Amino acid sequence: MELSPIQADAIQELGNIGAAHAATTLSQMLGSTIEMSVPAIKVVDLAQLGTYMGEESAAMVAFELQGDIPHGGYVLFYITRESAVRMTNTMLGLTDLARPLNEMDESALIEVGNIMVSAFLDATAELLGFIMLPSPPALTIDMAHAAMQSLIAQMQEETNEVLLFSTELTCEEHRIDSDIIMMPERSTLEKIIALLEDMMKTS
Amino acid sequence: MPDPQPRIEQTSMIGIGEYRVGSFPMMTIGLGSCIGLTMYDPNLKLGAMVHIMLPESAGRKERPGKYADTAVPLLMNELAAMGCKNRSITAKMIGGASMFEYFGTNLNIGERNAEKVRNLLKEHHIHLAAEDVGGKVGRSVTFLPGNDGKVSIRRADGTSTDL
Repeated sequence: MELSPIQADAIQELGNIGAAHAATTLSQMLGSTIEMSVPAIKVVDLAQLGTYMGEESAAMVAFELQGDIPHGGYVLFYITRESAVRMTNTMLGLTDLARPLNEMDESALIEVGNIMVSAFLDATAELLGFIMLPSPPALTIDMAHAAMQSLIAQMQEETNEVLLFSTELTCEEHRIDSDIIMMPERSTLEKIIALLEDMMKTS
Repeated sequence: MPDPQPRIEQTSMIGIGEYRVGSFPMMTIGLGSCIGLTMYDPNLKLGAMVHIMLPESAGRKERPGKYADTAVPLLMNELAAMGCKNRSITAKMIGGASMFEYFGTNLNIGERNAEKVRNLLKEHHIHLAAEDVGGKVGRSVTFLPGNDGKVSIRRADGTSTDL
């Protein structure tokens, strides 16, 4: 799975637009400034997934891509456990950082993930002119590798490598570090690239 | 051919679909729905470990360690080539969790992986000495063939158990 520099640029721009909308919603929810990285595109061999995501404890809210392409892959909101506590503390007006995450935190994380991923997909779908909808959210707070591996195992199209497309969103004021990660099926990726290439031709 | 061996006593990391055979320490991290399967021969103090992702290979030949139906015979053949007898080999199985409840309802790959490995071991007359599978928890596994085939499991909350 190789992307030409032009294709990579186009996808990066798409991610930029999506992530900017997601960052705006996060900024509104926290009442604070959010910094956004340049979206990174990584093609990861399954055997090397451990070098990308390890044993660290993280909260991940995962959504399956639905809409014009059913089972199009996954989009997830990823946040380290420490950042998750700081984020829900900020939202709920709490200060204790050593506390365990409870049901209220889980609801808050799912809600934040839902709002951000919906904003991400709305913006990218509008640009592409086809519908991408998130499935209902699924949350896990555990080893990052274990969660990621489970999503890859249930992808529809058998593959030995995955394309991960991630943008880091950070909030310096509350020391919150999170990522939006998109992991499309190969056919979804091809569809997105074709749409982007059409747009570049006509513009 | 198994993936390359590390220098003696250096722990070898086994990624998804990979396997190793030998007497050196082996480790696999962050098993979710995947299965870590170990086989150990106490007579020769040799072991093998594989990180399985899916139950069926559906005829695929590349990466035999990735699928239960190709990984189990693969480990047995590799151990047999080193002189291990089937009847002295004991197996342990770890993983097969369902990390996301919502997705897990109609597509429980973890459970299917564990069931497939269990059936294959039975079919090949390999004794399954212990297992720690299922639930909604990630697991990392260390396997020490040089230390009586000891298997340790670590979870995200920091707790460890020996299997």
